[in-house]
Amino acid sequence: MLAYNTRVAAKSLRRHPLLTAIIVAGIALGIWASTTFTTVRHMFARDPLPGRSDRVFYIRMDNWDPAAPYPTDGRGKQKAIPPQITYRDSLELMRSQIPLRQTADYVTQTVVYPDRKISRPYTERVRLCFSDFFAMFNVPFQYGHGWDKRADANAEQVVVIDSATNQKLFGGANSVGKRIRIADREFTVIGVLAPWRPFIRMYDMTQNFVGEPEPIFLPFNLTPRMQLRPFGNVDGWQNIGPKYEDFLASDVDFVQYWVELRTPADAASYRRFIDDYVRQQKKSGRFPRPLNNSVLSMRDMMTEMGVVRPQLTAMAVMSILFLVICSMNLTGLLLGKFLARAPEVSVRRALGATRADIFLQHVIECELVGIAGGIIGMLLSIGTLRIIGKLISDTARMSLDLEMIGAAVLLSLVAGLLAGVYPAWRICTLQPAVQLK
Amino acid sequence: MLEMNGIRKVYRTDLVETHALEGLSLKVDDGEFVSVMGPSGSGKTTFLNIAGLLDVFDGGTYRLDGKDVSRLKDKEMSAIRNQNVGFIFQSFNLIPDLDIFDNVDVPLRYRGLGAAERKRRIEKAVGMVGLTSRMHHLPSQLSGGQQQRVAIARVLAAEPKLILADEPTGNLDSLMAREIMDLLDDINRQGTTIVMVTHSPECAARASREIHLLDGKVVDVERPPAIVESIAR
Repeated sequence: MLAYNTRVAAKSLRRHPLLTAIIVAGIALGIWASTTFTTVRHMFARDPLPGRSDRVFYIRMDNWDPAAPYPTDGRGKQKAIPPQITYRDSLELMRSQIPLRQTADYVTQTVVYPDRKISRPYTERVRLCFSDFFAMFNVPFQYGHGWDKRADANAEQVVVIDSATNQKLFGGANSVGKRIRIADREFTVIGVLAPWRPFIRMYDMTQNFVGEPEPIFLPFNLTPRMQLRPFGNVDGWQNIGPKYEDFLASDVDFVQYWVELRTPADAASYRRFIDDYVRQQKKSGRFPRPLNNSVLSMRDMMTEMGVVRPQLTAMAVMSILFLVICSMNLTGLLLGKFLARAPEVSVRRALGATRADIFLQHVIECELVGIAGGIIGMLLSIGTLRIIGKLISDTARMSLDLEMIGAAVLLSLVAGLLAGVYPAWRICTLQPAVQLK
Repeated sequence: MLEMNGIRKVYRTDLVETHALEGLSLKVDDGEFVSVMGPSGSGKTTFLNIAGLLDVFDGGTYRLDGKDVSRLKDKEMSAIRNQNVGFIFQSFNLIPDLDIFDNVDVPLRYRGLGAAERKRRIEKAVGMVGLTSRMHHLPSQLSGGQQQRVAIARVLAAEPKLILADEPTGNLDSLMAREIMDLLDDINRQGTTIVMVTHSPECAARASREIHLLDGKVVDVERPPAIVESIAR
């Protein structure tokens, strides 16, 4: 009966093409708005490391001024803890054997010297990190791989470059084993990333988290040898000496620190480890404030850093309400359309159709309208999302993922049902005898 | 086949109550061809609607094919309409955007028959009314008489025990009316019970029995009062 009812419904829709177009347009408008704004919210809120973001933790330790807590004005729900840790603390934390993976990382800027025939020297953002960084954040490789623990320990001069840099410097060929001059040193390319543009730059939420990943990655332990300075957020409350070594030994926070822990028990152990570390440091006069550390999962960290702005949620809710209003407005049109068909419905009832048959036939007609409107609305939404993505960043790509396509289909069906359930109920409860002669 | 006792039907509005049937009692045996006559407002159509379970009634009892159908659920009534009762209407009531094949198919669809069985029944029924060559025409492409033959084919395909016909020749000229009555005669001869409401004495005379209604009651099955006859004419 489903196929038969669908055929009857399709025939009915073709009978009044203009009316059908108006109803489909109404649903399409609602689906366009609701899908667009819920997708924008979804892009910010979705799990950046599906299945693992509850095992990956961000570490903060309060080494701030004893006279005043770390200022959080205008930073939403962020706790009064410096968002990053010091270079020296990060090296100490790296000694822990508890995490499955761990990395300290920060961003700097330096000069790349390509072959003179290819390009002039240029300044580039570079992320210094440990070898676990790539596995921890699911970084995809096109050629080669990340460096290993030995390269970490020996501060080997190896480099991972992104696909755009590989295109620029090596014409997109497999450049593993080739050399690049960065700052005043020669580096061997050990890996080339596949195109990688996570919408949320989940490994660094301390600044523009919709920014692009850095094009170049170097081993963290090259920091002192290359005398690199951070190019991102830097927090400090004490004066520091003029020498580079003073900077690295200071209480200036510029390093992000991530660990991946296997189990909740490991997470508890790691929290104790952090607290013990800070207590130990207090003995030497550091960390003057009361114990205030944070080991937060990536999901919780996203919440605390306000990755999903309340305005996004409000707009998503409003857009769904808009869809509801669109659907309700179409109820009148559908009611008129269905009631005009009362004689035909009465004939069907006389010939054996139950109320449920008639209800189903008309609900299917509404759902066909909903699906047609949904498809048009989704196409409009894809176009609009591209524009919104461009407004956020040149390379940010916003589109409907499978989850949102599923949600849009569901919304379309609900919209069709919402618009048509009352008219379908009215027509199926008509007394057939009244219409038949 | 059909037995009604004391059937009452009242149509109510805010201002007025109309008593359409007032204790109507009648019996139609299996295989009979009965005509129901009476003046306008006598309750003929109301009787037919109740007989076909298209309308509910306010009092009395009704047994159809031996089963009490006085208080059935919608699903049960729909099943009886689909399997036991066939309707032929004055204005044919074909579905305008379905071709002949699909119009005849409608009751078979609701019965849930398979495609092959439906096709067999449709071709046989349309053949019996002589419209095989018009199988894929729309109703608007047929004359009134042909449309009524399609309506009869729709009934034949469903193979009901009882046919309820509401002025089946009312919209047809005399030649076409005769053709339709010939068809109904044939169907009745094959054992199907027919109850036909009509204003036409000629059509009524084709039935094996006439029933006359007045003011919602059967007045005299054998000898109707003169007033009824005169109004009926």
